[in-house]
Amino acid sequence: MGIVNRLRRKFRAWLRRHSYSFFSSLGVLLQHKAGTLMTVLVLGIAMFLPLSLYVTLANLEGMDLRQDEWSAVTVFFKQATDEAEVRRVAEEIQQQLDPGAVEIISPDQGMLEFRELSGFGESLDMLEENPLPWVMQVSPQQGSTDTTSERVEQITRYLQSIESVESAQFDYKWLQRLDRMMGLAKALATILTLLFGLSVVVVVANTIRLDVASRTEEIEILVLVGAGNAFVRQPFLYSGLWYGLMGGLLAIVLLQLTLLYLGRPIGLLLETYGTAFELQGLGGYNSLYLIIFGGVLGWLGAWMSVRRYLRQLQVGGYLGRR
Amino acid sequence: MIQFERVSKIYEGGSRALSDVSFSIERGSMVFITGHSGAGKSTLLRLVMMLERASRGQVFVNGRNLSKTPDRLAPLVRQNTGMIFQDHKLLKDKTVADNVALPLMIAGLKYSDIRKRVRAALDKVGLLEKEKAWPLTLSGGEQQRVGIARAIVSMPPLLLADEPTGNLDPMLSRELFALFQHVSEQGVTVLIASHDLDLIRQMRKRVLVLSGGRLADDIPASDQVAG
Repeated sequence: MGIVNRLRRKFRAWLRRHSYSFFSSLGVLLQHKAGTLMTVLVLGIAMFLPLSLYVTLANLEGMDLRQDEWSAVTVFFKQATDEAEVRRVAEEIQQQLDPGAVEIISPDQGMLEFRELSGFGESLDMLEENPLPWVMQVSPQQGSTDTTSERVEQITRYLQSIESVESAQFDYKWLQRLDRMMGLAKALATILTLLFGLSVVVVVANTIRLDVASRTEEIEILVLVGAGNAFVRQPFLYSGLWYGLMGGLLAIVLLQLTLLYLGRPIGLLLETYGTAFELQGLGGYNSLYLIIFGGVLGWLGAWMSVRRYLRQLQVGGYLGRR
Repeated sequence: MIQFERVSKIYEGGSRALSDVSFSIERGSMVFITGHSGAGKSTLLRLVMMLERASRGQVFVNGRNLSKTPDRLAPLVRQNTGMIFQDHKLLKDKTVADNVALPLMIAGLKYSDIRKRVRAALDKVGLLEKEKAWPLTLSGGEQQRVGIARAIVSMPPLLLADEPTGNLDPMLSRELFALFQHVSEQGVTVLIASHDLDLIRQMRKRVLVLSGGRLADDIPASDQVAG
């Protein structure tokens, strides 16, 4: 009973000390608005750069996976094949491969599309009969680009083995190439994230170092009246945390502004490809993670700075000497 | 309350601040340390506050052997010691009340308790109406009294003062010493380093005289005659 009460009292004291540091650190940051703003701006930009690359990649990935026809295998049937056979093959594919979608294009439909797209309209009328074969488009289930390219390969191989199929084409070299390019870009994004994450830590560490240097007198007084290392350290660690959190928040604001600004030109560009496309932002949870991540980096930077300084405050240090 | 056993302190670089000093101070008494500057007064106080470690000998404070107390417990030793400085050592960007509250914040007391005790301490030094003032708007004597309020707010059993009257005129100095005496009468051990010999004589308390790092004289309270 006694021990529980004592622990509870200690915990409450600990909590109060923390809440004191928490608010006093925020107060100090708000007192020095200009300096705080500049640091936060640097942190925000440093976090925005890798973040924007990630969002770009996520958008590219989303785009190529959502465009069924981009990864669809086109199947040309032999000239003599009739509709019944085409439907039977479609059925077989559905059952065997469980693809995302199977679309049948009859010679008439094909002619219609060709007439529209090619602009040969009237010259095509001179043909006595429709030379186009039955065509089928098989799209794989959606997934990551890696699995998509595997599935496409599997579907192509299967279709090529069917008697009535003249050819099944898919340029999966390009999908593969796209895959690898995405892989490269992701590796680049990882490196950038590491470097910019490091720069966030360093910027905060340096800011806190200066902050500590300008408040040596205050720290000295705190120690003289009995503050332990933790109590001296806490306000600075919280400052670091605040810097990181605010930097993360700013990075997200910058990202949203950028998306807003680029949304229209990108939409216009994609319209020429005949695709409706909506830019994806970061999403609520990811934004939250980013802000928390920023806070952790800030805390880490502050910790690095303060830890070094506190060694000088040990018994027998320079403290209080005139 | 305080016991020095053959304590020597040699700073890095070889300067010798204290040599073979032994004395002991009763709980609840008021004692002066005097001597020329450089005689070792400050070093003696720094050893009691665990800002330094003795090079030789042992220092006991409140039953604790400081020579064997690890660094991490130093804050605890200081929390149980009220310290008053010649240059006050107040935080300029905090109000008087916030300055006095510091030791209680460090102890993690409840906010409402802190308020109550800060007001009580300020009342004791006669500065209750300056609660919300900034330290730099106060006179030297008032700042020193804020320092005293901060030192006694957590009701430590031991109060140390390093040249507390250094910057004050004789009138204020006398008032300040009267205040120390009042605190001491409530059972707090008070140890004051000062070279204000006239004033010390008037107080008729025990005086330790340091000279060149040695304890040159130990004058008991009863031997002093009103000057």
